[in-house]
Order: sequence, then C-alpha cells, then structure tokens
Amino acid sequence: MRHAVATLSDVNTSDARRISVAQVLVYELRVRDAMSKPPITAAPTDTLRAVQNLMKARRISGVPISDGDNLLGLVSIEDIIRALDKGYIDDCVQQHMTRKVITLRDHFSLVRAVAEFDRHEFGRFPVLDGNDHLVGVLSRGDITGCLMQHLERRAEEALAHEAALRAERVANDTADRVVVRAHVRTGDYDSAGKLSQRMRQVLRERGVAPEIRRRAAVVAYEAETNIIIHSLGGEITATIDPDKVCIEAVDVGPGIENVEQAMQEGWSTAGRLPRELGFGAGMGLPNIKRCSDSLEIKSDSKHGTRLRSEIHLHKAGVST
Amino acid sequence: MKSPTLVKFQPLIAALQAVPLTDNLPEELTGCYISDLLSDVLAHAEPGMIWLTIQTHRNVVSVAATKDVAVVLFTCGRTPHAEIIAEAEEEGIALLTTSLTTYEAAGKLWVAGLRGESGHE
Repeated sequence: MRHAVATLSDVNTSDARRISVAQVLVYELRVRDAMSKPPITAAPTDTLRAVQNLMKARRISGVPISDGDNLLGLVSIEDIIRALDKGYIDDCVQQHMTRKVITLRDHFSLVRAVAEFDRHEFGRFPVLDGNDHLVGVLSRGDITGCLMQHLERRAEEALAHEAALRAERVANDTADRVVVRAHVRTGDYDSAGKLSQRMRQVLRERGVAPEIRRRAAVVAYEAETNIIIHSLGGEITATIDPDKVCIEAVDVGPGIENVEQAMQEGWSTAGRLPRELGFGAGMGLPNIKRCSDSLEIKSDSKHGTRLRSEIHLHKAGVST
Repeated sequence: MKSPTLVKFQPLIAALQAVPLTDNLPEELTGCYISDLLSDVLAHAEPGMIWLTIQTHRNVVSVAATKDVAVVLFTCGRTPHAEIIAEAEEEGIALLTTSLTTYEAAGKLWVAGLRGESGHE
C-alpha cells in the first residue's frame, strides 16, 4: 500500500492514463465506504474481562469505548495482555483505557487512511463523523475488502458492458446480413443461376460496384453449375454481409479426384449432355479462382466437395 | 481494360439480318464475344457486349445476366423457347436471332467497326 501511495503522488500529471482502477478507487472511496459499522464498542463501566471476551467473540484486537455516540477511549489487545499480566483484568475499562485516541474522519479518502495506518502502525482506527460522533471502525482488512468488492463490481460492469456491445454488434450484423440458399439437384440444368440471380439482386440493391457484383455472380453461377454437372446433389449458400459475400457450395459427392488438376483450365470430366449445352469447358474452377478474393476447396470421395469463396465488396479487384 | 469504342446497335440489326425477339434493344454496343462454352463467356465477355452463340437454353440468359451482356444473338436460325425470351426481358437482356452463321455475323459486326477488346490479355 505504501508503494501504491508513493506512485499515486507521482502520477497526478504526467502519467495519468496509466493509473490502475485500484489506484483510482483509493482516491474515490471514502473511509465511510470501507469502515465496519456500526462499531463494536464497550461502555466505560464494563470490565476489561468483558472487553477481552468481546474481542475473542468478535475476533477483533481493539474496542472503542463509548458513551452512546461519544468516543471516550480505546482498549487494545495490548491493554488486555497488560491487565492479565498485572492482575487487574476485572477492573473497569475507564480506569485503564487509552484516552488519547487517534481517529479518522468518515469523509477521508482511503488514500489518506492508508497513510495514517502507515504513520501510526495501529491495527484499526475509530471513525468519527462531522459531529464527532463515533460511526465506525476501520482496519486494513476493511480497506482491502472494500477495494476487492469495488474492483469486482467494476469488473462485472465492464463485462456486462462488453456483453451488451457484443449483442448489439451481433444484432446489427444479422440485420445487415442476407443469406440466400438453394438446393441444387444433379442434372437440373434449367435451374442453374437461380441463386446467382437472387444474389445479384441483393448486391444491386446495396449499390455494390458492378464489377464486384459480376465477380460474385460468376463464382455463384460456376459453383452452382459444378454441383449440377459433377455431383450427386448439394446446396449452395451466399452469405451477403456489408463488407463481403461468402459463397459456399457443398455437395454430397463423389468428390474431386485431383483438385489441382481440376483447377487447370480446359480440364473437364463433364459428360456429353452438359458439354452439348456449353458446360464442361474446363473453366469453372479457374473462373471461380480468378473472381474470388479468397478460395478454399476441400474434397474427398467420402464427404464430397466443399467450396468456399469470399469476395470483398469494398475494393476493386480483377477486371471481369 | 481500355474503354471500348461504342457502336450504334440499330444500324447493325439490318446488316445482321437479325430479328429482335425482345423489345429492349440497347442504343450501343461495347464489343462482341463469341463462344458456345458458357464458362468461356463468363471468363471473357464484358458488360454491354453482344454475344453470338448457337446455345439457346436458359443458361444463356443466366450467363448473359451474370456478365451484364447487353445482347445475345442466336445464329444459324436458332430461336429459344418463349419462356426463355420472357426471362431475358425480365433481366434486361436483348435477344435476337439471325439465319447467318456465327462466322458471317461476326464478319458483319467487324465491318461495321465493332471490335471485341475484352478480358483476353
């Protein structure tokens, strides 16, 4: 604590931004926020034996002696030990209590309280309010407990704030996100381009640059026709966010035997019918690659093929 | 890509002996691309072009729309189904048909000054 206080006096001007939350708290919090109240007290007419029992029962090492709200003195554990030693433990408190008691005011900052603890090396201070009434007792443990409690509260508040921000962000994201999804059937050449068409519509409404819109459309169209021509069926999804379009094409098989080969222009495994229709030029995947800002293809004979392409909406890319 | 030389479309229609199938004909063309392979068109056609093909199924409309192709000219007298024509109209793509072969039609377009500067590097 002494270290913290020393640091505090140094940071006032130059380094204000690096003050920790705990350091701020010891300035902000008052003695009245941390003290134990109401104070555990004894009357001047009580015996020292009674005070000894009170200390034992309440696990405290000093008891203010008061007459109602007025602080008269203090009996510490050292006073009790001395009384036991000298054999006057059954005497009245008022004969032996410390009368010159150092007190704290309830409006003092905790920083000031810490300084008083360091200066006097007492375990506790009686706390008086503005009317000199005894209102509590402050120990070092009370300060630590109070700081911990407030730190915890600050942390909880920060977490709640963060969660609220995150929830808001998610809500915005979902509001700005449009997902277009279509089942794609094998050999269904007539349906090709339906998803791509819907996606183009959304992108046009959002004012996406035509050049970027066309790239996204090429990716969606090629990915869709790939499923129609080559797979046993699948699904294509276009997730349209404010900053990007993500096109995912997933089929149930049979998988691309050699992805690297399939990426080469002119290489095709398409059958007669699709070729007659003008598909199977061996340009599908190369086209997708050229139009994507990022592309990922995973394929195996067990799980089929999963293609994921991203097109960024805010930067000019390849000319198409 | 250098900016294309625009050519008026209206005078070309007679030269191509073309019959419009839709009434949304564009004022001008930016160039021409010829292919019957759809992916090839997706790779190389440019917005505002005329595309010559013998393919007449509905993917032609999808591909043209994907690349903002302005006109599709079906050659060798081919004509698509009515529903495909309707779809093209919806997409804002003009469809025409001609009895000329693709080669002959291309020749007419070249003579008229239309060039095909495209994505080919």
